[in-house]
Amino acid sequence: MTVVKRFYVVLLLSIGVASAREPGLNAQQVLVKMNHAMEVLNYQGTVAFLKNGKLEPMKYVHAAEKGIQQERLLSLNSPLREIIRNGGQISCLFKETQQTIVDHRPFERSFLVDVPRNLDDMGAIYQFEIVGEENIAMLPSYVVAIQPKDYARYPRKIWVEKQQFLPLKVVVYDNSGVPLEQVVFTEIEVKDALPFVDVKFLDAAHPVQHIHQSQPQSSDQAAFVVTALPKGFREVFFIRKPMHNTEQPVDHLLLSDGFTTVSIYMENKSAAIQSGLQSVGAVNSYSRTINNYQLTVMGEVPAETVKFIAEGIKLRDLKD
Amino acid sequence: MPEDLNQKISQFLDNELDHDEALTLLQKMQLQSELQDKLIRYEAISHAMKTDVFLLTKSDFSTKIRQQIQKEPVYLLPQHKPFKRSHKQIAAAASIAIIAVIAGRSLYGTDQHSKVASIVQVAQHQLSEQSSKPVVYENQAAQYPLNKRINDYLQAHNSSVYTNGEANFQPLARVTAYSHK
Repeated sequence: MTVVKRFYVVLLLSIGVASAREPGLNAQQVLVKMNHAMEVLNYQGTVAFLKNGKLEPMKYVHAAEKGIQQERLLSLNSPLREIIRNGGQISCLFKETQQTIVDHRPFERSFLVDVPRNLDDMGAIYQFEIVGEENIAMLPSYVVAIQPKDYARYPRKIWVEKQQFLPLKVVVYDNSGVPLEQVVFTEIEVKDALPFVDVKFLDAAHPVQHIHQSQPQSSDQAAFVVTALPKGFREVFFIRKPMHNTEQPVDHLLLSDGFTTVSIYMENKSAAIQSGLQSVGAVNSYSRTINNYQLTVMGEVPAETVKFIAEGIKLRDLKD
Repeated sequence: MPEDLNQKISQFLDNELDHDEALTLLQKMQLQSELQDKLIRYEAISHAMKTDVFLLTKSDFSTKIRQQIQKEPVYLLPQHKPFKRSHKQIAAAASIAIIAVIAGRSLYGTDQHSKVASIVQVAQHQLSEQSSKPVVYENQAAQYPLNKRINDYLQAHNSSVYTNGEANFQPLARVTAYSHK
């Protein structure tokens, strides 16, 4: 064997060894690490929410200790407010109006991004791929693309920092690739510990408004039946409770495919809601009347999806 | 009276009708296909008498062209640079005018501009009538403020209202009418 042949053999062997090495993290693994990092790390920074054409910069703090987490946002611009998430409870204090809202949302985990803990079942409806590496807030990051396998929901990308695996940027796109919403850190730092803060409620002159305080109920009690849903959407909770500062009950069913949520509302017919499609940033809603009821389907999905779901909804007693 | 109409068609072809009479005649022809056929026949005769060239077109030539145009699908895909409505009207009017010219007056002299103009006027009149009938998509309502109920729904839907500063307690969320995609 000549020297040249030996050289090529060694070269081929070295290529083989290199390709047989443990591959890098795949997209799902990065997202799993991200979920873990979001829960256990103490970090703070400035995050910009760009939604509905409006930029909202906020100070962000995440404290974690012994499995307990607290997420805190402080707005930098009016309306000045402080928002604190303790587990499933969100408290929002408006500094200028002294108004406090307490919202109960056990089904949400973060203001930044909610990624399902178990991604194994998501492969049927989303494709996960690391599509590149970029710097966000001067930190090298993986760019993870989450591409739906149908047009019933929106694609998104998450920029995950390579060392700590924290999400630095999240973008939701429409199906033609135009960004609809963005959440991006402009600076972030990880700390050994960060303090938890107490939620300070104000005096009786400023009563606390509670949202979703009631316990979820069985969706069998809903006045409607959903007959058609895009693949992967499941019921998260159902509740019947008064809204609009009246005693008039409203049925609310929340659905999710893990990344995307859709709400269905039904109440007595009212002229206050115009039938048809409306759009607010990435959120589309479709309203229509069924007999004496007003139905609205709303979610961060394409308009066609809310319309598709709404068209398939029937009154329970008219199902058959 | 048929003879009277025949006379007017003949005068129309000889450019002897004033504007109002020509317009009235064209409107009648829109309603009576036999009059349209007659116009084409008279025009062919006139043309054959005046020149050595004669091209035969079927009486339903313009009708078929119009039907073909109407069969063209309406695409609702997003248009990055949509035509202005006025541009669309001008383009449609120009197309119909061209068809009218080809079908009825393709070989006629250039002294017939006034009648062509009349045809275009009728075409435009019809177009404006058609466009006044709204092509209603359920979502194409004009922009209107997001009402309280929808805002309540948004707040109940997810917590993004807190980061957006858009709950029922603050300035209402901006609503854009959905544009068909």
